[in-house]
Amino acid sequence: MSIKKGRFTIENLENVQINIGSVVSSGKAEEKEIPKGLTPAPEIHELRDWDLKLLDRYEAAYSPVCDMCCYCTYGKCDLTGNKEGACGINMEAHQAREAMLRTLTGAAAHSGHGRHLLNNLIERFGADYPIDVGPSDIKAPLTQTIMGIKPETIGDFVPVLDYVEEQLTQLLATTHMGQEGSAIDFESKALHAGMVDHLGMEVSDIIQISCLDMPKSQEDAPLADVGMGIIDSTKPVLLCIGHNVAAVTYIMDYMEEHDLFDKIELVGLCCTAHDMTRVNDKAKIVGSVSKQLKYIRSGIPDLIIVDEQCVRADMMRETSKLHIPVIATNDKIMYGLPDRTKDDIDDIIRDLSSGDQPGALLFDYEKVGELAPKLVMKMAPIRKEKGITALPDDDEFKKLASSCTMCGACVIGCPQGLDIDKAMEAAAGGDLTLFEELHDKCVGCGRCEFDCPKSIPILNVIEKAAQKVIREEKGKVRTGRGQVGDPEIREEGVNLVLGTTPGIVAIVGCPNYPDGSRDIYDIAEEMLKRSYIVVTSGCSAMDIGMYKDDDGKTLYERYGGRFLKGNLLNTGSCVSNAHISATTIKVAAIFARRDINGNFEEIADYVMNRIGAVGLAWGAYSQKALSIGTGCNRLGIPVVLGPHGPKYRRAYLGKPYDKDKWNLFDARNGSVVNVEPAPEHMLISAETKAEVLPMLAKLCFRPGDNNLGRMIKLTHYIELSEKYLGALPDDWHVYVRSEADLPLAKREELLKKLEEEHGWKIDWDKKKILEGPARKVDVSFQPTNVLRLCKGASE
Amino acid sequence: MAAKVLDTTKNAVPFDRANVPGPKIAKAVKAEVAGKFISKAKRPLLIVGTAGGDDGVIDVVKSMAEKGIPVAATGNSIKRLKEEGIDATYVNLHALVSYLKDPNWKGFDGEGGYDTTIFLGHTYYYASQLMSTLKNFTKIKIISIDRHYHPNAQQSFGNLKPDDFLKALDVVVAQL
Repeated sequence: MSIKKGRFTIENLENVQINIGSVVSSGKAEEKEIPKGLTPAPEIHELRDWDLKLLDRYEAAYSPVCDMCCYCTYGKCDLTGNKEGACGINMEAHQAREAMLRTLTGAAAHSGHGRHLLNNLIERFGADYPIDVGPSDIKAPLTQTIMGIKPETIGDFVPVLDYVEEQLTQLLATTHMGQEGSAIDFESKALHAGMVDHLGMEVSDIIQISCLDMPKSQEDAPLADVGMGIIDSTKPVLLCIGHNVAAVTYIMDYMEEHDLFDKIELVGLCCTAHDMTRVNDKAKIVGSVSKQLKYIRSGIPDLIIVDEQCVRADMMRETSKLHIPVIATNDKIMYGLPDRTKDDIDDIIRDLSSGDQPGALLFDYEKVGELAPKLVMKMAPIRKEKGITALPDDDEFKKLASSCTMCGACVIGCPQGLDIDKAMEAAAGGDLTLFEELHDKCVGCGRCEFDCPKSIPILNVIEKAAQKVIREEKGKVRTGRGQVGDPEIREEGVNLVLGTTPGIVAIVGCPNYPDGSRDIYDIAEEMLKRSYIVVTSGCSAMDIGMYKDDDGKTLYERYGGRFLKGNLLNTGSCVSNAHISATTIKVAAIFARRDINGNFEEIADYVMNRIGAVGLAWGAYSQKALSIGTGCNRLGIPVVLGPHGPKYRRAYLGKPYDKDKWNLFDARNGSVVNVEPAPEHMLISAETKAEVLPMLAKLCFRPGDNNLGRMIKLTHYIELSEKYLGALPDDWHVYVRSEADLPLAKREELLKKLEEEHGWKIDWDKKKILEGPARKVDVSFQPTNVLRLCKGASE
Repeated sequence: MAAKVLDTTKNAVPFDRANVPGPKIAKAVKAEVAGKFISKAKRPLLIVGTAGGDDGVIDVVKSMAEKGIPVAATGNSIKRLKEEGIDATYVNLHALVSYLKDPNWKGFDGEGGYDTTIFLGHTYYYASQLMSTLKNFTKIKIISIDRHYHPNAQQSFGNLKPDDFLKALDVVVAQL
């Protein structure tokens, strides 16, 4: 018989409590699963050889944000021109350290979220609660690949997070002065941090899918409303912001039990919103993180519940002015508020509704569940009676717009460099169109207001001017489906590996887009039309659902949600990004029958050489986005960032002109094969939508493509280049190994170009290439970067 | 009334106010000086971003190309440049700065790397970050003839009004 972890009282021993720290059964320690594989739960150095292989081909390229180091009291040190600081670190290593630190920060945010959620769910459901992610035998692909164990219950994830936390601590220690001094080893450590980030994310999402009855690999998960225009503000509006749905589930349970969903508008912002809709499809999504300040300023929310991550630091200043109480439910964000956890609910409601206190900490989620609906219903009439909003009325708006002196300080302060001054001038003359266009490009940061010498509340002016547009912001997003199921992999894996499905494009991350959210929709639509599998998550998944075709349908309504060519899958919130990387592992396990247990290097090697998957974080702004990207990179998945991306300080770029960098082994015999640069880069940025589209197609090339697959991929690369860049790409011929790789419709034309422009020899009778390609197609070629995986070879 | 003198050294503050990299920042230069600086380069490379295809700017790109300066078209500028018959090579800007710092890169013509890079028509923050790569890890000269002050360049214009910007570009071309 096993005894669950917990508390109990021994009879006759009053006031004695014994805390049981581990589970035992029948007097002997419960059998613990022995981790399998070559590198189960790898320490920092154990996958270093793999990292060095990656970094030899994809060199780290640094773009410092700041030329100085101010880590210790020796400094500030000027490192300009790769000089060394007082401790001996040079610019290159310092930038590598900076990028690693951001990766660590992101990984800590995800795994901290996971730990909090795991503790909560074990308390509610018990450690023995079984994992259920849908119709899959491989329930936790990243856990199996990294840890070498196969978890069955949520309690099995406790040692997984123990491992993650230990690694993060050890990695953080290396950023202290006097520790690591090598750029390349900081990069290896960053890759390690990225890998454990994916592990932490996987734990976070699997446990909530299992316990909170979220969709389990459900291709037809329900559609949820999204957009600032979908909120019924005649009802009390309860807004939840952040990433951790734990506390909000108690609110939803209470609302269900008391039939309150008709009486209260429950809405979410950022990833908590995704997870709310996964738990209960009556919840609505306001939108991405860039809508946060705008929506608060609208004055519509009557109560705000915050948890963790991507919640604005100026929340209390903003909400206090608008008499919106804030309940903080997580240690990570406490805003200096009083802890009211032990207080009576009625007392808390009294103090917050009167405005005596602007908000409260509440760590008892049962209380949160009861208090939030009661408080919001009390607040709504109070606030409506006062007509509280930060937005100006029509007269005020005209005065504010007219008071602008066109000094341009706001434009210089704006991270996007938006022409706010011109829009202000037009608005003063009664023309709102520039502000209506600007509204979507504005990331809602509010920096402009701090720079305005006239103290114009610019964000309020933008929002007021764009009211017509905002009212029409009504979209649909398919609620997060979770993992890709094993049966879907069985069906699609072969197409993906052979290239007949041209690739997986994962459009993920934050909304710091360079030119508004429409781009992300356009990119998704273009790739879906071309039969790529488009996978999305987080804020990008919301923004993709904000636009409609002429028939009024969103992409989620037009394309299926199965893991199949030409389908659009929303995996869910930020932590569900783990399922995207995990999908590639499943392909290796199910299609290629690779042993994934504790076998990270081999699986990453397979993914990099065989699976045409690419990530796009077009609006990446957070540290989490960098850690997700870096984790993808260690698994061999290239990632593209938008033009803000170089602010992360580091990219991983290939050199297509250096042939020595593109040698692989043939696993059949260990022979060296010089291949085309595929994938060409591991982490890169692009300036515009038009530039990124052909780049995505190109980054889906893999050395393992068969002829049909290469032909399909090359077709898209050429067509996208011609469509968006106006010409054939300069390097299209590099990816041609035989005439069978050439797009059918252009075969003759391209053969002519190969002969005339590149000096290749063509047999025109047979329309065959005789000489020219760097290598020939060998259908049995087994590309690998790892010599030990070759028959009869040892490194 | 005397004609207004074009001074491209005014308003030399980072266009993104907080973009202050450190002790070494670009010298704000007059358009004539920028033109002479470019004309003295042995292996110049004009790096044109997407806005390099804008009306007015594209004429300057064409003039510089006709003066024999090789053109790297970044972003999606290549489409407009080709339409205008400008001989340019598409390259991603992030990749390009990485190639530029590689002593083994042979350049677009196979003749070797470049000693001077000229930036025009870029998304401000994107170019600024990638100039920092060249500034910190190469000896390549960086001159920005874009509309806004770029601290990570070696020489840059200050922040200019659109009309002044086009006039300044004409002055640069006249020096070549």
